[in-house]
Amino acid sequence: MKKSNQHKADISRLHKDKLGMAVPEDFFAKSKANILNKVIKPEKPKQSIFWLKPIIAYPMAASIILAIALIFWMQNNNTKNNNQITNTENIELWNSDSLDSDFLISSLMISDTEMDNYLDRYILNKIVIETELYEQQLENIFINSVLIEDSLINNYIDKSLIENIVL
Amino acid sequence: MNQEVELIKNLKNPKLKNKAFKDLLDIYQERLYWHIRKIVITHDNANDVLQETFIRIFNGINNFKEKSSLHTWMYRIAYNESIRFLDKNKIKTSVSINQDNNAYLKNLTQDIFFNGNELQLKLNEIISELSSKQQRVFQMKYFDDLSFHQISDILNISENTLKSSYYSAVKTIEDKILAAC
Repeated sequence: MKKSNQHKADISRLHKDKLGMAVPEDFFAKSKANILNKVIKPEKPKQSIFWLKPIIAYPMAASIILAIALIFWMQNNNTKNNNQITNTENIELWNSDSLDSDFLISSLMISDTEMDNYLDRYILNKIVIETELYEQQLENIFINSVLIEDSLINNYIDKSLIENIVL
Repeated sequence: MNQEVELIKNLKNPKLKNKAFKDLLDIYQERLYWHIRKIVITHDNANDVLQETFIRIFNGINNFKEKSSLHTWMYRIAYNESIRFLDKNKIKTSVSINQDNNAYLKNLTQDIFFNGNELQLKLNEIISELSSKQQRVFQMKYFDDLSFHQISDILNISENTLKSSYYSAVKTIEDKILAAC
């Protein structure tokens, strides 16, 4: 190694003396710095999302995933309900305009369950309640007529009685 | 030898690699530079090839099987990089120092870091007139102080052939210098 170091110390002088080759001043120091810059990259701090201890990090990650999944599920569920409500409303609007004539066409565009639900509500609203109202109206008319007739008869009796007595 | 073993061990250890590589540069940078400079002739070319050589050494140290010494392995990389550089330039500029002595001298004298006198220029001219094999073996033996065994490992040529080429080159150079004086 001693011979080697000696050779290293003399090698630039040997090339200069024998071959006339030279190097710029401080070339080897600058060259060393260049080479080191090219091969040794500065270490960056590790960017890890799991900088916490596993006992904290894993439950936290699981909770976040669960929360995201729940949000998606709720959004999908709301959309489905809204679609159902919108369909039923459309049917009701449509039916109010041309229920009788286009009932068959309307029934083809909705599911059987929705149709059954609608019919149940229709029967309840239109037939049962209206029938009851109609009966109540008839009853009222009958009562009114009876009352009117009674008053008329009473008037007539009073009139005829006065006439008979006076005359 | 123990120093080299320790250096190899540290170079292959990721935690110690950077420090060991700095030590490696301190020991071998200058020697490899001159080895390269004599092949590619100009300082700028030698600087480029030197950097490529050490980058290859840094990246390839884990593949070093230790069948030869670290010293020989690095010289072989430097030699191969220099030859690759010459081949690349030959494609681009159609200049080959091995086949065209005038191109060798032209490149040498155009280099601003060549300031040789008449005798030094003559020695360069005589060396450029040797065969490629004689040039390499003479330069490695005389200037780089490598053994025939090491040169044999680097050039992948038998030691006997190298010895024959070297002594033939020395005789040629002596004769031509005597004739010039």
